[in-house]
Amino acid sequence: MSATHAPKESAFVERRRADWDELDGLVNTAQTKGPKKLLPASLARLPALYRDVCADLARAQAARYGAPLLEYLQGLTASAHAVLYGKPSRALASRLAEPGAEGRATSALYAFPRAVRRRWRAVALAAALFFVPLVAGLLVSQLDPTFAFRIVPQAMLEPLTEAYAKGFAEGRTTGEGTLMTGFYVNNNVGIALRCFALGIFGGLGSALYLVHNGLSIGAILGYVASQGAGANVFTFVVGHGSFELGAIVLAGAAGLSVGWSIVAPGDRTRAASLEAVARDVVIIVAGASVMLLFAAGIEGFWSGSSVEPMVKRSVGAALAVLVIAYLGLAGRGGRRA
Amino acid sequence: MVALDTVVSIETPEHIVFQHRVAGPARRAIAHLVDLVLCYLALFILSALVLFVAVGMSSFGSALDDTLKLGIGVLLVLAFLAQWVWFVAWEGLRGDTPGKRALGLRVVTVTGRPIGFSHAVLRNVLRAADMLPTGYLVGCTAMALSPRFQRIGDMVAGTLVVFADRARAHAAQRHALWPPPYPHELEAVPPEVLLDAEERAALELFLRRRGTLGPAREHELASVIVAPLALRHGWRGPILDPVRTLCLLYDRAADTGRVDAPASSRVLPGAAGR
Repeated sequence: MSATHAPKESAFVERRRADWDELDGLVNTAQTKGPKKLLPASLARLPALYRDVCADLARAQAARYGAPLLEYLQGLTASAHAVLYGKPSRALASRLAEPGAEGRATSALYAFPRAVRRRWRAVALAAALFFVPLVAGLLVSQLDPTFAFRIVPQAMLEPLTEAYAKGFAEGRTTGEGTLMTGFYVNNNVGIALRCFALGIFGGLGSALYLVHNGLSIGAILGYVASQGAGANVFTFVVGHGSFELGAIVLAGAAGLSVGWSIVAPGDRTRAASLEAVARDVVIIVAGASVMLLFAAGIEGFWSGSSVEPMVKRSVGAALAVLVIAYLGLAGRGGRRA
Repeated sequence: MVALDTVVSIETPEHIVFQHRVAGPARRAIAHLVDLVLCYLALFILSALVLFVAVGMSSFGSALDDTLKLGIGVLLVLAFLAQWVWFVAWEGLRGDTPGKRALGLRVVTVTGRPIGFSHAVLRNVLRAADMLPTGYLVGCTAMALSPRFQRIGDMVAGTLVVFADRARAHAAQRHALWPPPYPHELEAVPPEVLLDAEERAALELFLRRRGTLGPAREHELASVIVAPLALRHGWRGPILDPVRTLCLLYDRAADTGRVDAPASSRVLPGAAGR
């Protein structure tokens, strides 16, 4: 039997504990007050101490020292590792955006349309899943208004039609505007986030959400139009429509991307395939949420206001062009990652 | 170390492997409940304040209705923040939530690093999928199927929920014997004890549970392993109390520290034949 002698555990601890205590102190400071609060001298010590403790852990494992010591060293290494390597991104924008020549704010502004264009197939599919049922619902319920009742309860449709038939001459007060904005933030952003999240089930959840929402919106618009309030409802919807409908399509597209990455991971493992889409997907979901916040503000304060219908329509058209141009063009020609 | 199934090993770029204990569904559910209570308590207090102010202000003006509507609008935004932003904000900024902190939990990436906002967004938005159809049934199923207790949000974001506590003691605790070791016992302890990894692990597991087992069970378990151990390591005397004998052997081994102790099965084939 050949045995290599290692120092006794107690001697080992005695010799190394000063370094451990120093690293422990640094790690605690970094964890409680943030790594930026460390003095430059301490900061310079951190990597060296960390490497030494890594070596100590390896030695202690090889020498089969007791579990308490191993656990202590493991905990210390793990915490020091977390401090030393830090978060993958301090700010969402700085890392998710490609490291281009632009500043941080600009690159975040560009990251969103770039991610959308990288996932253009999913976006196209989501748009089809949303707009085809929407147009179908719109046309069918205009021809046969009772069709709308099968999708949206009659009890909900009739007061809605009355409201639109009245027009917007009265406008909305600040209170009403805030109330409606709050409602839209709560409701619509929630719908979009759920529409994305359920895409994890092979994309089916997102597809279902898109079709269902498209059909419902189409049916409502078609029914209201069939009752003679078509012009009013169009004037109402056109202002925020590009933001709101666009955002739901994009959230759905993010869900479809996630679902597809699991259904067909290609050469990768499913985990690796998920990781590859996750970056784009976070950006798209965050961007879609911001679009919905804009939409809620517009819908609450502008779409229901007493502004001239022609002005509303022109502004709505301009916003739609702006959204499409932003998603289609912004950040092109810059440095690509 | 014993490879327990709730331990994940993470290898650093320095080729050091360290381990995190991942948290199971029960502890995480309690942390979640604590968060829900705190979050909705905060929402309730804020709502009460907003409504108080709204109603108070409306009594001065003519537009009672309008101020109240404004207040309700603010409440709806607050409700949205409670549902979708609470977890993202805490985890994105600190890597845990108040509930997780209270239960000693923390979220890390699968590579053992602290999480950023993008991880926090993904794992918490996908909560909507984990909650289905009710009571986190999908999430619990995913956790049961995952070797690392990951719910769907964790899988997509590449995160783990682990115990944040870290061991504070440097050295093996001496196994306090009462009454303290007698001279004849100390004489019986061999000068050097070389435990192999399995023996050491078995002894550590046993000694950790010492005092929680009940004396009879303790004695029973100890007497199963004490004879082959004492024989192999050259215990020099009678074994009067198996538990005390194991403690003394372990303490001596902790002071010996040596690598490559041979596996006991190779040296002592007869031990298995008892």
